[in-house]
Amino acid sequence: MISDAIRSKQKAVIPYITAGLPDLGATGRIIRALSDAGAAAVEIGLPFSDPMADGPVLQKASHLALQAGFTMEGLMKNLEDWVSSADIPLIIMSYINPIMRPGMKETLTGFKEKGIQGVIIPDLPADARGLFNLCRDIGIDLIRLVAPTTTTARQKEVISGCSGFVYAVSVKGVTGARTALPEEVSRQVRAIKAMTDLPVCVGFGVSTAEQVDDMLAFADGVIVGSHLMDAVMDESDPIKAAYDCFRKLVEV
Amino acid sequence: MKGYYGEFGGQYVPETLIPALDELERAVSCAFGDDIFWEEFSSFMRDYVGRPTPLTCAKRLSAHYGIDVWLKREDLNHTGSHKINNAIGQILLARRMKKERIIAETGAGQHGVATATVCALFGMPCAVYMGTEDIRRQHINVERMRLLGAEVVPVKSGTATLKDATSEAIRDWVTNVDSTYYLLGSAVGPHPYPYMVKMFQKIIGEEARSQVLDKTGKLPDAVIACVGGGSNAIGIFSAFIDDHVELIGVEAYGRGNGKNGASINFGIPGVLHGARSHLLQDENGQVLDTHSIAAGLDYPGVGPEHSYLSTIKRSGYRLVDDSQALAAFRLLNSLEGIAPALESSHAIGYLEQYAKEHGGTTVIVNLSGRGDKDIHTVLEEGL
Ligand SMILES: Cc1ncc(COP(=O)(O)O)c(C=O)c1O
Repeated sequence: MISDAIRSKQKAVIPYITAGLPDLGATGRIIRALSDAGAAAVEIGLPFSDPMADGPVLQKASHLALQAGFTMEGLMKNLEDWVSSADIPLIIMSYINPIMRPGMKETLTGFKEKGIQGVIIPDLPADARGLFNLCRDIGIDLIRLVAPTTTTARQKEVISGCSGFVYAVSVKGVTGARTALPEEVSRQVRAIKAMTDLPVCVGFGVSTAEQVDDMLAFADGVIVGSHLMDAVMDESDPIKAAYDCFRKLVEV
Repeated sequence: MKGYYGEFGGQYVPETLIPALDELERAVSCAFGDDIFWEEFSSFMRDYVGRPTPLTCAKRLSAHYGIDVWLKREDLNHTGSHKINNAIGQILLARRMKKERIIAETGAGQHGVATATVCALFGMPCAVYMGTEDIRRQHINVERMRLLGAEVVPVKSGTATLKDATSEAIRDWVTNVDSTYYLLGSAVGPHPYPYMVKMFQKIIGEEARSQVLDKTGKLPDAVIACVGGGSNAIGIFSAFIDDHVELIGVEAYGRGNGKNGASINFGIPGVLHGARSHLLQDENGQVLDTHSIAAGLDYPGVGPEHSYLSTIKRSGYRLVDDSQALAAFRLLNSLEGIAPALESSHAIGYLEQYAKEHGGTTVIVNLSGRGDKDIHTVLEEGL
């Protein structure tokens, strides 16, 4: 269970990596390395041609992965291996269109059968109740995002259609490392925690060990994406780069 | 469900934008129910934009094809295209919403120019996102926007055309959502944009319908418009939707080699830029590269209402390629003394095929914009 995996870690950090960069084989080895390095779970981002919620680093990662020949079919072939080689839950992050293309139900069922435990969809329809029910029936967590702009009424609605954990977006904006995170995050996270028993994890912008510690003072977990991909993308040994980068974030 | 046309439309956006769309929806419904808002809109249409635009009888073109062709002259609007109708409407709304800054995307630059114009008119800061490929081929409009005081932000990502400019505008909006109003230029995007843009463009159809009745005493057999995102087309179609009039959208077929902008003809329903509609995509759900000689039609998606109208067969969508559009550009220049935008040239370009099948009929073509911006491209192609 994703929520248990987050709660069982002293420092629950969830790394995000773009699938298929430099290739699917390497992605599997990076997942393994991150699992060994102490990740609470791994978020596997599927590349998309038009990633409108992503900043320059993840846009580039998406672009390179597609150039390197990423396909859904290739992904599906690898998922089982990835799941069995890692001791932690794997979560898929994807824009909705590639999931929708073969059919939502088909794709999500496929993920579930391969052992994927949750999905994150940044451009979910505003009314995601139907999709939440579908995920519940399939038995896969639908992790929802709560933004700094989200009203209290909408927070309640989102949380009631969310499982696994609540993803608290730290900033107004797209993904990408930030040197400073807004003060309001702690208030936002506390407000969400008052509404739900689900773990609440903070993502977008986190890039230093200090920020990780700051966030973990009130949040149950932290997601690190752009900072990690930036460290991995142009390295000749991306597996080692991912491991080292992650260790720096969690070491005391 | 809210904001859907059949199975098309909706709001597929990052969570950060949901409250902004809610706020916009409230502002739209408040403004649209307010006579004062529409009076203000009408006075700008009349005294600033120069409406109503004429419905011109294209005598020599009609003789050439053996059908009666009427041109709805959106090219005569201030700034040279229908885009100004929507830009005026939305900036009036943005002012009501007390927004401080305007952003927009542009392909051909017509929407960018229209937006930069209304921002100058109301003294608001303006950033226009534009693909570097479009900056190259629509250079005159880039200079116009800069003269108007707008910042033109080059977008290099992806195919460096309209779709990437739109993604980048959305990224700006997510980042500056409190202060910024996103002035979207076509009948695309998340609800309420497709509805709102139609409401500002339907003036084209309302005028055309009463003008054609005045001049000919009857309704036309067909109304023809080019379709990029679909705003000029939905604007003119909307007034004829309950009539016995054929509605024909013309999509860009590019060079006919597989890369095109013909979403309804070749796309599969999918989600791009906040709405579900026909989308040019591959079997992995990745959005395909597009091509059209007309920058404003060089887009892999289409407005959700067009997807719906095509599904229920109320409107049909035909293909015109680059060279047919270029030929139409030349023809309208030489026969009528009118230089159409390359986008609008696609609608003109369809007449040849239509006339062959429907001799003796009467049609209205929406001449969505003027072609000054395209002279450079046409010359490059060898006029
Ligand atoms: C003159 C003109 N016509 C048509 C279009 C296509 O847009 P739409 O389909 O929204 O009318 C454009 C877009 O740039 C344009 O400039």
